[in-house]
Amino acid sequence: MAEARAPQKSLPKINPVDRPFWEGAANGKFLLQKCKSCGKVQFFPRVACVDCFGELDWIEAKGTGKIHTFTLVRVPRNPAFKDELPIYYINVILDEGVIIESRLLGENKENIKIGDRVKVRYEQTHNPEIKLPCFELT
Amino acid sequence: MRRKRVCFVGYGSTEYSRKSEESQLGHYATAIRAALNQTGLNKKDIHGLSITTQASPDTAPHVAEQLGFELDWVLNADYGGAGGVGAVRRAADAIECGHLDVALLVGGNSFDRSVAHQRPLEYQRGNFVDVYGYGGPNSLMALIQRLHMENFGTTLEQIGKIAMAQRFNAMNNPQALFREPMTIQDYLNSRMISDPIRLFDCVMPCSGAECLVLASEEKAKQITDKLVYLVTDAEKVHYQVANMLPEKTTFGMKVVGEKIFSEVKREDIDLFEIYDDYPIAVMIQIEDLGYCEKGDGGKFADAHDLTYNGDFPVNTGGGELSVGQAGLAGGFLHVVEALRQLRGEADGHQVKKAGRALVTGIGWLNYGRNLGTTAALVMERRK
Ligand SMILES: [Zn+2]
Repeated sequence: MAEARAPQKSLPKINPVDRPFWEGAANGKFLLQKCKSCGKVQFFPRVACVDCFGELDWIEAKGTGKIHTFTLVRVPRNPAFKDELPIYYINVILDEGVIIESRLLGENKENIKIGDRVKVRYEQTHNPEIKLPCFELT
Repeated sequence: MRRKRVCFVGYGSTEYSRKSEESQLGHYATAIRAALNQTGLNKKDIHGLSITTQASPDTAPHVAEQLGFELDWVLNADYGGAGGVGAVRRAADAIECGHLDVALLVGGNSFDRSVAHQRPLEYQRGNFVDVYGYGGPNSLMALIQRLHMENFGTTLEQIGKIAMAQRFNAMNNPQALFREPMTIQDYLNSRMISDPIRLFDCVMPCSGAECLVLASEEKAKQITDKLVYLVTDAEKVHYQVANMLPEKTTFGMKVVGEKIFSEVKREDIDLFEIYDDYPIAVMIQIEDLGYCEKGDGGKFADAHDLTYNGDFPVNTGGGELSVGQAGLAGGFLHVVEALRQLRGEADGHQVKKAGRALVTGIGWLNYGRNLGTTAALVMERRK
């Protein structure tokens, strides 16, 4: 008899557009798209430069930045996250000048302030091939 | 007969194939790039986008966001085989009316089942938001409210005053789900949902509907002697989408407001029906509309009486925060309340001088920024 399945944490459905990003994350690299025409960097991965519509390359980011704003999620959309509440959901301005939505982890996260410096930290998911770029205070 | 001439100026195509690694969005981008190359047009020249597709219901705003189009006009022309013609007709109408000068009309699909096709919204939320355990729109608005409080010193008491004023307005509105008085303590003590967003910052999902009937002036005169005119209207979709460091506490309402108030004087508005999924969203819109300086929304709330009998009446029937949010009826609630006020039919919460109303609508909380869609209109009672 089949048992009721516990809710699973969400995973990205990787597609050809963002596959380099996720492959990078799995190998400890934070990849960002950069426009071949105007040179601007963007996130999240898309099929064209949102500024000039040019075609895109990938560059490796430093994986460092600062907290732009944050919230403590106490009612998650997916109940699979219930055991981890509150979730420190953050916006990070990477040093390359783009905003990333992510999650703050680590011992000192309760001390979070806007403007704090952070660095990327890759978290293994229940899929062995997927790691999530999260952040911790530096 | 067309009042103005509308022309076809170029086209772009992709290869056709039965198997392709390309996503549906990738196909759109290829066709658009070809058309831009052929016409010599720049992306910034394009002010309208129509999407016609069959297999997956991509909505035009999501496609526009991911292609980086900041637009004045979008359309989902999902009319099956008539979609191409339908899109051309509507774009021509819009061009005649002066809403836009160049529109991209895109039709396409990808039938290769080996490619994981995702709708743009699913892609963005599924791959870059859900995976971190976020709390839906409450969390996204919390990010904005946190920033407003940090940057401008806005207090919870100031934000709560908006919720309280709307609750006061709801007390005599039989339609409202919540009609008991709310104190600032009630507001502050309400359960934390996604810091600093509390329960009383959030709309209550509910069932319901709103209906509006519009007619030409000629026709309208045959129907009623209570004539309410659409004086002016504007919208902005994905304000500053190409800016990777957008000002999160400013919505496209800033641009919408500039357009509205180039035709109607700010001080000539008698009442405000401002889309209120959250009190902070109301405050930011008051700033964006230019009723105070950016960041002074808290001080503005302190200095004004926002109830229906006050000097700056906002959401005179209680708004969505007190009436409830019946899905997409939410955007209509504000228009209907304005109509009720202008016709003098808001028993128990009637604004004394209700000649002209401003109504806003906002939607699509976007990745790393704020709102995808913002719009406003002015309605006026005339003899
Ligand atoms: Zn570019």
